[in-house]
This record gives sequence, C-alpha cells and structure tokens, in this order.
Amino acid sequence: MSEFVQYLVNGLTIGAFLALIALGYSMIYGVVRLINFAHGDVFMIGAFAGFGTLTTLGVTGGTALPAIVAAVAVGALTTGVVGTGIARAAYVPLLASPRLALLIAAIGVSLALQEGVKVLTDARFKSYPNTLDGGQILSGSVRVTWGQLALVVLSVALMAGLWLFVTRTMTGTAMRALAMDRDAARLQGVNVERLILVTFFVGSLLAGAAGVMYGLYYTQISFGMGFLIGLRAFTAAVLGGIGNLPGTMVAGVAIGLVQSFSAGYVSSRWTDVIIFGLLIAVLAFRPTGLFGERVVERA
Amino acid sequence: MTRSTSRDRGRRFRLLTATGAGLVLVPLAAACGSGDSGGSGAIRIGVPAPLSGDSASAGQDILAAAKVAAAEINQAGGVDGRDVQIVEADDQCSAQQGAQAAQKLLNSGVVAVAGGYCSGAAVPAIPIYGRRNVPFVLDASTNPSLTDTGKGKVFRTCGRDDNQGLVAAKFMTGQLRARRIALLHDNTTYAKGLADAAANSVKQFGGQVVYQDALQPGQSDYSPVLTKVASTKPDVLYFTGYFAEAGLLMKQRKQLGLTFTLMGGDATTDSTVLKTAGPAADGYIATTAPLAKDLPAAAAFVSAYKAANKADPGPFSVYEYDAVKVVAKAVDDAGSTKGADITEALHKIKDFPGITGPITFDDKGDRTDPLYITVRVRNGAFTAHKKLDKSGGTWVDAKSS
Amino acid sequence: MRARVELGRAEQVVRYGGWPSLVVVALVAGQAMDDYGLTVGATILIYAILGLGINIVVGYAGLLDLGFAAFFAIGAYTAGLLMVELEWNFWLTLPAAVAAAAVAGVVIGYPTLRLRSDYLAIVTLGFGEIIRITVINLEVTGGPNGLTGIPPVTLGGREIVMPRDFYHLALAFFVVVLAATALLARTRLAYAWRAVRADDTAAEAVGVPTRRVKLLAYVLGAMTGAVAGPLNAAQLGTVDPSSFTFLTSLMILLVVIIGGMGSRPGVVIGAVVIVALPEVLREVQEYRGLFFALLLILIVLLRPQGVWPYRPRRFRLPAGAGPAPEPVSATGTLLEVAGLSRSFGGVTAVADLALRADAGQVVSVIGPNGAGKTTAFNCVTGLIPPSAGTVVLAGRDVRGRAPHRVAAAGLARTFQSIRLFDEMTVAENVLIGRFARDRRLLRPLSRADLDAVRRCLDFVGLLDAADRPAGGLAYGDRRRLEIARALAGDPRVLLLDEPAAGANPTEKRALMGLIARISALGTAVVLIEHDVALVMSISDRVTVLEHGRTIAVGPPAEIQEDQRVIAAYLGVPDDPDPDLVPEVPR
Repeated sequence: MSEFVQYLVNGLTIGAFLALIALGYSMIYGVVRLINFAHGDVFMIGAFAGFGTLTTLGVTGGTALPAIVAAVAVGALTTGVVGTGIARAAYVPLLASPRLALLIAAIGVSLALQEGVKVLTDARFKSYPNTLDGGQILSGSVRVTWGQLALVVLSVALMAGLWLFVTRTMTGTAMRALAMDRDAARLQGVNVERLILVTFFVGSLLAGAAGVMYGLYYTQISFGMGFLIGLRAFTAAVLGGIGNLPGTMVAGVAIGLVQSFSAGYVSSRWTDVIIFGLLIAVLAFRPTGLFGERVVERA
Repeated sequence: MTRSTSRDRGRRFRLLTATGAGLVLVPLAAACGSGDSGGSGAIRIGVPAPLSGDSASAGQDILAAAKVAAAEINQAGGVDGRDVQIVEADDQCSAQQGAQAAQKLLNSGVVAVAGGYCSGAAVPAIPIYGRRNVPFVLDASTNPSLTDTGKGKVFRTCGRDDNQGLVAAKFMTGQLRARRIALLHDNTTYAKGLADAAANSVKQFGGQVVYQDALQPGQSDYSPVLTKVASTKPDVLYFTGYFAEAGLLMKQRKQLGLTFTLMGGDATTDSTVLKTAGPAADGYIATTAPLAKDLPAAAAFVSAYKAANKADPGPFSVYEYDAVKVVAKAVDDAGSTKGADITEALHKIKDFPGITGPITFDDKGDRTDPLYITVRVRNGAFTAHKKLDKSGGTWVDAKSS
Repeated sequence: MRARVELGRAEQVVRYGGWPSLVVVALVAGQAMDDYGLTVGATILIYAILGLGINIVVGYAGLLDLGFAAFFAIGAYTAGLLMVELEWNFWLTLPAAVAAAAVAGVVIGYPTLRLRSDYLAIVTLGFGEIIRITVINLEVTGGPNGLTGIPPVTLGGREIVMPRDFYHLALAFFVVVLAATALLARTRLAYAWRAVRADDTAAEAVGVPTRRVKLLAYVLGAMTGAVAGPLNAAQLGTVDPSSFTFLTSLMILLVVIIGGMGSRPGVVIGAVVIVALPEVLREVQEYRGLFFALLLILIVLLRPQGVWPYRPRRFRLPAGAGPAPEPVSATGTLLEVAGLSRSFGGVTAVADLALRADAGQVVSVIGPNGAGKTTAFNCVTGLIPPSAGTVVLAGRDVRGRAPHRVAAAGLARTFQSIRLFDEMTVAENVLIGRFARDRRLLRPLSRADLDAVRRCLDFVGLLDAADRPAGGLAYGDRRRLEIARALAGDPRVLLLDEPAAGANPTEKRALMGLIARISALGTAVVLIEHDVALVMSISDRVTVLEHGRTIAVGPPAEIQEDQRVIAAYLGVPDDPDPDLVPEVPR
C-alpha cells in the first residue's frame, strides 16, 4: 500500500513537469497548427540558462531562495526570447507554405538547438548546485520532500497564471479566437503575426521555467534532456485534446502517473510502449483526444 | 510567355541542385587512392569513436587520449624512425556509421585500429577490418562476443563483461555478504551484458537475484524504479549502466530513504556522478579497473592529458592510451606495417608495461591478467577500495601493494 | 504549335532518358570509387529505397509518417531472424520481410484512418517507438545486441561481401524498386492518392474509396520500405536496434521532404544529401550535426516545396471524341428522399424533408441562409449520417452508406465552397470524378477514362485548359470544372450547391444553359440556389425550406404565388422576424 502511495507521489511530480511543457505544445498548435518539435529543446535551453545564472551568482548549494527565483526568471525570459526569435526567423516565413515544410523547419530547429548546446558544452552533463535538499515532509514509509512540494506548487501557480491570461485578457481571448479561425480573427482586426509571436513567447516561457525547475530538482542537465520529456509532453498534449488547455494539463499528470505506475507494476522497459499504446488506443476511439480538441479544422 | 520562363527557371534550378548533389559525391570518389599503407610516411593508426551523437563526450575523451599517446611516441622518436599519426573516424555509435567509418579508415591507409566505444558500431566493423587483416584493438567494448568471434584479429585493453560480472558477484556475495541482490541495467548492449554476467555469477556463488530489469535512460526520474527495487528487499543494488543515470540513482535513493547498498559498474566512475549526487554519493561502490590517478604509471599520462585538453581524462582514456601504445609496440616488434604481421606481433607481446597494468593477450585477444577492483566514494572522490588477491579468493585493500 | 510539340519531345527525353543515364552514371561511378565510396554509395541506395517507400505514404497520399523506421526494422528483423534461426536463404527471406511489413502497414494504418495528419504524426512516431522498444526488450530478437552473424547474400554460388559487389546488388534493388514505384505512379491509385492528399472529403464525395486508398498507401509504402531492411542486414552482417530510432525515421522523412514530396528524382537527391552530406562534413567533426541542422532549416526556408518538386505528367487526351457513352436509360423517379431529419445536439437542422427528382427534371431547394439546405445535401450524399428518413436512389436505399458508395450508386455533387484538387490539373480533377463509375485502383488509366475526361471537359467548355493546374483557374471556370468532375462518373442524379453564387449575368445564363443540357441527358438535377429568378426559370419543381422545415413544395408558378413563401422569403428583403412567420403544417 505504501508503495502505491509512493508511486502516486512520484507520478505527480513527473506529471507536473509534463503538464507544464505540454501546455506549450498545445498553445502553439492552437494558433499555428504546428507541432513545435523544438519545444523540448527550448525547455533544455531554459535549464542551461538557469544553470548559467546560478553559476554566475556563485551559488554552490544551500537554500538560496533569491538566487533560485532569479534563475527561474532568467531561464523563463531567455527561452521566451529564444522561442519568439525562432518563430520569427524560421516559422513565420513559412506560414503560407505547405504544413510539412513548417514541421521540417521545427525539426531542423530542434536539431540545431541540441547540436549547438552540445558544441558549447562539449557534450558533457552539467550539474546544478544542490539547492533543493531542504529535507523531508513525510519521512515514514512514504517519502515526500519539500523540493517535490515546491515544484508542484510552482507548476500549479504557473498553470493558473496561464489560465487567467488566456481567459481574462484581451490577448488571451484573441489567442483563442485565432485557434478557432485564423481568417475570421484576421478580419476582426487581430494582428495574427504578432499574436503568434506572443503565443510562442508565453509557451516558451513556461517551458523555460520548467527547465530551470527540472535542473533544480534533478540537478543534472544535458543537451539531450529535452527529447524524451518533450516526446511525452507532446503525447500528453495530443491525448488531452490538442489546443484544449485543461485537457492537456490533466493528460500531462496522467502520463506522469502512467510512467510511475508502469515502472512499479510492469517494468520501466515497457513504459513507452504502454504510453504510446494507450495513445493509439484512445485515438482509435476518440480521434480528437480524451477531452476533445479546441481547434477547428477548416472545412 | 512568362509561364514558360518560370518553367525554364525551375528546370535550371533542378539541374543546379542535381549538380550540387552530384558534387557532394565527388569527395567520396576523390578520396580514392589516397590510402597508402606501405609507404614511408607516418604510420597511421585508426581511431573510430563516437565523435558526434549522444555519446560524443566519451568519444572525444578516447580520441584525446590516443593523441596524447601518439605525441608521446613521436616525442621519443617514433616507431622505426617514422611518426605515428592518429586518423579519427566518427562512428556515432551506430552500426551503419560504424561500417562506413571502418571503410573510411582503411581508405586512409591505417595499419591498425585502436579505439571504439559502442559494441553496436564495432560489430559490423570487425569483419571489414578482418578482410584486410587489419588488427582492431578495442579500448572500451567489453562485450565477450567481440573477441570470441574475432578470429584472433580483435584485441582489447579493457576487460570483459563476464570478467567484471564475476568480480562484482564475488564482492557482493563475499565481501558484502549479500544474499539478496538486485540488478538494474539500461537495456544497452554493455549494461545488459554485464547484468546477465553478474546474475550468472551471483547464482553460482549461492546468492539470490531478487530483481533484474532495466530502467529507461534519459528519463531523469528513477524514483518509481527505485521504489520497485526496494519492494524486493535487496541487500545490494548493482547498477550496470552509465554514469548519467548513476548520479541520479544515488540522489533519488537518498531522497526515498532507501538503505540497501548501491553499487555500479565501470561506466559509472565519471566525476559528473559526484557533482550530480553531491553528498548522496558517499559510500557508493563501483567495480572498475584501477583508476588512472591510482595507477603510479599513469600519473605522467594524466598530467599530459590535462595539459593538452584542460580536462580530466574520461573512464576509457587510459585503455585507449594503452591500445595505441601496444599497437605501436607491435609495429615496432614486427618491423612491418602489414596487418598480418602486426596481428602476430600483438599475440606475441608479453607483459607490456601499460599504465593499466602489464598487458599480455590470450589466443582470443583478451588480456590475461584480471583487471577489476572496487572503488568507493569517500569525501566526494572515488578512491581505491578492495581488490582480489592473487589467489582470487579473498579481498584485500586495493591500496596495499 | 511546332515548337510546343518539340518541347514536349525534349521533355520526354528528360523524363524517360534521365533514369537510364543516372543508372549508367552510378555504374561508372561504381568502377571509379574505392571501398569507402562504395559503402557510402550503397547506403545512399538503401536510403533511396526507404525514400521511395515513404514517398508513397507522405509524398503521394499526404499521410505524415514519423515512424517509418519501424518498417525498415520489421524488414531487417524478419529477414535476419529467418536467416539466423531457420537458416533461410536471403532470397527467400525477402518476400517474407515484405509480407511482414504489409501486415504491419495494416496494423498501423487501420486505427489511424480517421485521424488528421497532425495526429498521425504522433501515432506513427509512437508506433515506431513501440517496434523499437519491443525488439530491444524481447529475447528472441537478441535484445539490445540485436542479431549478429547474418550471412552475406549469395548469388549464383558467389558470396557478395566486397563493397563493390554489394554496391551493384544495392543498385539492382534500387532499380527494381524504382521501376515498381514508377508503375505504381501510373495507376489510378496514384491519382486517387493525390486527390486524397489535396482534399479527402471532396475525394470521398466524388467516389474515391478514401479509407481503402489510405490503407493501401500504408501497406504499399511499408512493403517498399521493408525491402531496405534485408539489404541493410546483409550489408552489415548485423541488425542493431539502435539503427531504428526516431532519428532514423526523421532522416528517412527528410529524404522525401528535401527532394520534394511525390517526386522520385527528388528522393534520389534527398538520399544523397542525407547520407553523403554528413560524410563530407566529417571534416568539421563536432560541428557536423550543427551544420547539418542549419543546412536543413536553410533548405526548407529557401525551397519549401523541396529541391526537385513533383511535376505532374501531362495528360495525353485522345485527339477526337470517343464513342458517346450509352445514354443513361433511366426513366421515372431517380431520387426519392422521405422523412429526412438531422439534428445537431438539440438543434434541428433538417426536419422531415421530402424530395423527389425524376429523370430529366430540375428540382430546386431554396430558403434563407441557415435553412438547412446544405445539411440536407450532406445527409443525402452520406457525408453526415441523417438522424431519420430514407434516401432511395434509382430504387436502391443508400441511406447511411459511405459517400463514395452513394457516389458510385449514381449521385454526384458539387460544393457550396468549391472544393477542387488545386494542385492537380484540370484534366486530373475530372479524372477523379471517374471513380464513381469505376473504382478499380491498381490499373493504369483506361481509354474509357480518358474519353470520359475529354467528353466532360468538352461538355463544360474547359478542354483548352486541360493541362492547367486547377488552382489557377478563374472563379467561373472553377465552378464549371467542379460540375465536369461530377459529370465524369455518369451520374443519374446531380446535386448542385449554389452553382450561381458570385456569377455575373452572362455566366448565369451560360450556367442555365449547362444545367438544361445536363437534364437533357436524362440526369436528374437537384439545385440549391439563392438566385430566385434563375431557379424559377429552369426548375420543374421547387421546395422551400425554412429553419429546417419545408414550408412549400410545387411548380415555380405556384411557389411564386404562395403567400407564406412570399412572407417568409421572397417578398421580404431583410431578415423577417421568425416569430411572425407561422409554421405551416404539411
């Protein structure tokens, strides 16, 4: 029984990250109809930006809260700018081209980011200073650390912030309108290109924040860290119904739980087979994801 | 009219791109004939290693060590008065690229090959070198099958998985008196091979394998796997994968408050582990060949390596250094750059003073002396722990002697 | 005219002379290259074979596949296991590998038929990963070690181990696969794929069995790509699971994207770029991957269509009109719709609709926007299933049938927002309409097909535009083309959805003439239209809809007099307040 609860705790921790990253996929798909393959690598860039900040500030360990906040902020802003820059340079010029060209551009950007960071870091792993070793909340047969709690709380706060942004601001409303119908939104006076860039900014911001949190929590980062988690986050976005933000969050947490429980009760070797098998099964019966998509394909 | 000109433009473009694509092929064809193995220029030694791709850092460490060895040989006057030249080829750890890298090296006229990292890339390369009778000295591929099927033309300066597995099993069941042993690998050739070998030996020594499964590398969160392992109540968990996961395992084991002993194989002794795990690394034990810093003979190599690369050598750097050195020695002994002669000379080498210990190859091409000892993390550094004495039955402090 | 003919001949030389000369160049180069060049050359050919396979799925049918390495793996493992475990001969394992891939093609194709392309991306990616992880986890496939000790190919008692021999073997394989895919590209199926890729709803509506067509794309693509598996296994003597990662799938996809989707010469260029470029970039060592990635972005930005885009083959329409088809001999009632209803959620879009059209009649449905006219059409043609009612076409009940079956039964349609296959030529668009009459896929175009295309183009006056891309036509021509496409299947009933929308008076007059000529053939025409004058002048009978309900039925003269219709629709220029319009029980 205690093992079950432990798997649950672990799964929720993993799910918090997945949900944050998945939101970026979902938002960007909503407005550009692009599976942004580079999104996982933007997450990776965030982790390295945060690492750079902590190193510059000379943090070597201990709970240095101001430095942590600074790292998250710098990481998120860096990826926001990087993500927007990528969109401006590589995606916007291709908006009128076949969709596949856009996808290939995204794959190219993903490879370029990975390879670029690889060259800069000599393909080596970097280790974050141990700042989140704040001890245990529960230390009986089920273990919960303060680090885990901080992580989940921060994720939920960021997601709530996004939710407010999308539902309560003009920009967010325009974003949702754009997801529904690009032409109609344009006719209503929405500056489509600007809005696309804003979406990339916000989506990348979340990924960057997730990247720094990831570095703080797991303490080990590398150029290839975005691939697997990006793939799973993307799976979550599709599973939840792409463009459907609450659905995406739920699916992100669900995939985290699947990852944890499959390692516990089946085998970690089969985790991806289970995740993708589940995805294919769901899509075979519900072609637009568990909770239905919120984008409209032009008839 | 405008339509037809735009079509002409399209055709011209296509012609241009076709020519461009053709031009890409030219260097491939032009490389032909540049190979020259018998001449009087430098003696070329091929170093295939993953220089790009996910294992690039390991490959770069190997290549750097080879260059240090070559520079040292040339400093001392070369072989038969000829310089040794390192020719590198990226194998990306893939079978396809491994085959292409092998052809590329043969093309540039290498007399012998010393290198490799992933068995997957070595497997298709072995018959390619074999057909030209070019000996292949492996520095890192520990899979037993490589020398078993190498027809005597494959050698290695590193150990064999079955050998390490045996040492690990002896240590766990003997020194640690463990009865319940969990084995965790990452489903790569090396890690699974070592786990299988360890499992065999553990059973021979009367131990019980309570868990044997793989984690998925790159996942970062191994708490679920560790929770699962803990539920089998092991005395020791032996992780046979790579260092990137080892550090995370140590950290997460501590976070989960698990008490079993954590051990690892020789791919986990990278310094990254210590940085990632921090204090959680204390007490970690790994089976490995003696570390470069504990080898008196290796001190010179380590300082030369640091001077040239401004970084510490990687775990396989010492083996690569010895591989290049032993090949040079064989060429010198044979007095010939013919592959068959060098192969014969390699088999004849006896107690060559390598920095990883005396080197003698058996008929298959494996080293005759047992290599593996255990090291332990103490005060944030890997330090020599225990080794088997000459009889192979009892553990003694690795530092003494 | 002369110049044009010569140009055509020159083009033919380029078109058909290119491949043989390329093969000759490859043979000559094979003599000049050393072992390294030959090994790389063989790898290029293997990737070209994979590229030809994925070209069928992605290039022809437009189904995004991010897991194509799975078929490569299935081919390699099937052949490898048969060779190692059962000691089969290489040549025997080849058909087994292809068959296994075909089965896998069905397995992955079937559940994904309903999915949109972006979802396909993740599902195919997942499928690729499932296959890769499964072969690593299973003992029988050698786990992470893969299969080793695969014997070389023997041919006439000779072992093919030297790189030069293997290069020739790979070249022979490539030529065979190329020929097979070239033949495939000439079948009706290839045209159906391109139609599905452009607009699968429209393709289905005019008679293309889209599900079968998509499934065939997966199966044939998988079979083609699987050929590379045994070849690769024999080349390396090993099957290594790390050869079949997502990155491999990406590289295979890039082969066809860089070259140009649907273009076979493009595949060769793509394979050269993907395999040879990294080899050339060996000089730059650790920057190799970065260069490659940046180059990729640059290629896509500069040539989003690929470096050698697909160019449609010119249609060779018969010079003269073929024999006239047998006139549709049907008489009496061709379409009988009764009690047709459809609601979305709680909203009733169409309620209890009755509609009858006899041979040679023109029947019109009018009503304000949102009255449910198009929904009614969609229910009749099977695009959306009706909630209740019957649809009888020439005595056969077709309600609830798939749209292509309804089309095959003799009911053709056009769309309110014109849905042509823009990337295809005018003649090719009409050809797709033939699928309603003849659904055979794995055949070349028949003389009857070409005759019908010519006849229909001639009928609507677009014969001169036959070779132009449909996307470049003027608005009025697009309307006429859509009608020609609908007529190509020799329909008994033709449904026209607002054909006069946006037309000027001259065009409207021409349209009226065209409709009259169609009905003179014995075809029943059902028309949705806003232009009341046009409707009244050509219709035999008019049905008036409002809020999904029929408020009047009768000959034009009667409808024009009907006070309720005038109140609801004709006489009131602006939106009438619906509360003022009494519901009329029938």
